[in-house]
Amino acid sequence: MGTTATKLPKDQLSEYQELTFLTKQEILLAHKRFTELLNRNDRQQINSRVPMSKICTLPELKSNPFQKRICHVFSTSEIKDGSLSFEDFLDLLSAFSDSATLEIKSHYAFRIFDFDDDGTLDYGDLEKLVNCLTGESADTKLTSEEMNQLINNILEESDIDKDGTVNLSEFQHVISRSPDFVSSFKIVL
Amino acid sequence: MNMEDSRPVNYQRLISEESTVSADSAFTWEDCQADIYEQLPSSQKRLQNKEQAQEAEDHIILNQSLKMLPLCIQEKRNLRSRQNSESCKIGYWASWKRSQEIARRRMREQLGRVVSGLLLWKSTLHNIEGRFGVGVKAYFVFLRYLLCLNFLNCVILAGFVISPSLLRKNSFKNFKHNSSFLDIFLGTGFMEHSPVFYGFYKNMSFGAECLNTALLFLFGMLIILLLNLIMIVRRTVVGYKNSSLTGLHFTENVSYKVFCGWDFCIREPEAASLKHNLIRNELKMDLEEQKFRQKVLGRSLKQWILLYVLRIVLNIVVLLILGGSIYLIYSATTINPECYKFHWTLNLPCSYVSPITITVVNFLVPHFFSAITVYEDYSLTTQLNVTLVRSILLKLGSLAIYLFFLITKDNKNNNNSCGETEFGKEMYKLTIFQLLAFFCNTFLVAYPRKLLVEKCSSSNMSRKVGKQQFVITMNVLDLVYSQTVTWVGVFYCPLLPAISIFKLLAIFYISKFNVKQCCGPARKMFRTTSSSVLFHLMLLLGLIMSFVTLGFNIKLFVPSRCGPFLEYHTVFNVTSQCVSTLPYAAKEGIRYMTSEAFAFSLILTEIIILTSYVSRKQSNQKSMERLKEMLVMCSSDKRYLVKHHATLLKRKKTTVRRRAV
Repeated sequence: MGTTATKLPKDQLSEYQELTFLTKQEILLAHKRFTELLNRNDRQQINSRVPMSKICTLPELKSNPFQKRICHVFSTSEIKDGSLSFEDFLDLLSAFSDSATLEIKSHYAFRIFDFDDDGTLDYGDLEKLVNCLTGESADTKLTSEEMNQLINNILEESDIDKDGTVNLSEFQHVISRSPDFVSSFKIVL
Repeated sequence: MNMEDSRPVNYQRLISEESTVSADSAFTWEDCQADIYEQLPSSQKRLQNKEQAQEAEDHIILNQSLKMLPLCIQEKRNLRSRQNSESCKIGYWASWKRSQEIARRRMREQLGRVVSGLLLWKSTLHNIEGRFGVGVKAYFVFLRYLLCLNFLNCVILAGFVISPSLLRKNSFKNFKHNSSFLDIFLGTGFMEHSPVFYGFYKNMSFGAECLNTALLFLFGMLIILLLNLIMIVRRTVVGYKNSSLTGLHFTENVSYKVFCGWDFCIREPEAASLKHNLIRNELKMDLEEQKFRQKVLGRSLKQWILLYVLRIVLNIVVLLILGGSIYLIYSATTINPECYKFHWTLNLPCSYVSPITITVVNFLVPHFFSAITVYEDYSLTTQLNVTLVRSILLKLGSLAIYLFFLITKDNKNNNNSCGETEFGKEMYKLTIFQLLAFFCNTFLVAYPRKLLVEKCSSSNMSRKVGKQQFVITMNVLDLVYSQTVTWVGVFYCPLLPAISIFKLLAIFYISKFNVKQCCGPARKMFRTTSSSVLFHLMLLLGLIMSFVTLGFNIKLFVPSRCGPFLEYHTVFNVTSQCVSTLPYAAKEGIRYMTSEAFAFSLILTEIIILTSYVSRKQSNQKSMERLKEMLVMCSSDKRYLVKHHATLLKRKKTTVRRRAV
């Protein structure tokens, strides 16, 4: 570690500071952690990517049931394999940082929960979401009857326009009424 | 509606036709519908791509920070370069202004970061939050808040009360040399004549009639209490606003639990599986409760009667327990003076009899209450709340009773001693003893228990005992109780806030140890916002109680042979003497301010303001309802139109295809 080639140039650092919610120290720490994940050969290149499986070994994400969704949402990879470049990684940390706004956080939360990427949370998305929350093994899952009742409750509460799905603005409406969300939607290195 | 009826028929027909026509034109009605949905302006905006940021958005974006956009870094960079090139176009002045704005924003952020960095224990709290979730952190944040409150009180007291007296009084006159270690715990001996207690303060004038220590003393106390009231009310209202937005059925808000359920701070696999369990249990509990409510609706008359009889009996039991504990406290307070005849080793426990009784009662009885509520057949959340309310009643009630007896007792034997100092001493002892109890509970109960569980994890007994749980509400109640003691005692023991700063510091480190080393995470869920409202409401209750006690005390106590108000008949005479020396205009002004006419007009304005707010709220609610209805109508209209359009499109395509065939 500590080779000069892996250091961030100063102008880039200030640019990242401007474009994300992270502080200088956080960006430097993120850079250090990210280069640790890279292969030795890839460290010299700026745009090298870390595959999703490796990102998920980070202790901050290891026990998170949404780790794969998080990678997919923040990945800018063309082949949609969920791999992250350093800038994607910064995006992730910025959205999950202390100082990110409710707006940003709820936007990304919506995208994370939207498992099929169709722009709305429908019955299938909600079912997957609840399974993620309760644990996915067979004995921890809710029974189908319970699941049905639960999802009907959710839709009854938050589906304002009664079209059977929860869209972004409805989601943000629910989130905005629960100020705890900002404090719990947080990942800090 | 006509269309709706005919549609399924159409659909059937189309499909059958399609299957005969060709396989590759698998173009269903639903595909068509999805296509139209994607072309709607609102979904276009939602599926925002690079084009979205182009034209119209640019102007909005200019005014807000780039980081506020949910885009990835590369897109933000593109956007910024476009902005920069634009800034070349729009001229020097505007670009300078914008750069100034950015610089100012950065500075503000930097400042905010520095200020938040000054907050105490930030990293420790963060650590605790990561390991035990948000609920436990809320307790520690509450503790920190109390610490800040006490620090503020301390500063004010130092300015108004302590420093003037120390300035005028150069030496400690009544200093007794045969002081012992016990005096620190009992508040006797040299402590009695130190600045800790009321008796130390004497009325001294600084020249002018209106500038004496007595007036400053009163003024400082009033400032503290009013400031605390304002601060707590503000915090409660802020919290309440947040939680009241969620509506009356906050506890039943399922979508909230699902969407905000996961705590992303959790990193330990153990904590994660625990969180899974918590969420699952809570969701199941909610569903159970929904079923429970249905069951309640179906209860027969006989069952209702039986249940009510049971509840009444149990409530009588609770009242009996409350009465019993109050009697215990009463007898403990009256026994007290006969104790001093014994040897000095018995002196310490003897003079601590009443604090010990209060603490023991407060420690044991809440457990009993929570056991009782199980039989009352309430829903689970009501059970928790009922236990909490009973515990609050017990805690503050026992304190109130204790104070009441103290006041009447002190009034009765109004001999040579300084009654106010005696009262202050009792409060001092309560404060010290609570800390001792807390210490003992952690190191003599919780820690050995944890060792026992870990050492012989195989045995059945130890598994049954289990690690202690960190019950947040009970711990918060303890904090509220100690703060109430501080408020009640501050008038008679002006250094009490300073003492409670040390006490809170000690409690912080002890409970940090307790949480980290001895406790398994609590099994009951706890939510920050709703709970912090609850915490502050409890605190407010404590403050109001201490207001009442202080008011009683000041009204009842004729200033005895000590203290700054020695020469006055009542405490408030100090102000009237000061006012009489003021010039005529000021005197008249103050007289008007304290008269009924002023109060009347004040109340009237308040009523008018309140009425306007209430009516505004009602009208807003109405318009909200209307908007909601409109939304539903709009979306159903939209769906209808899309369906209609899709069928038309489909029909057109099939006719075209048929013609082609």
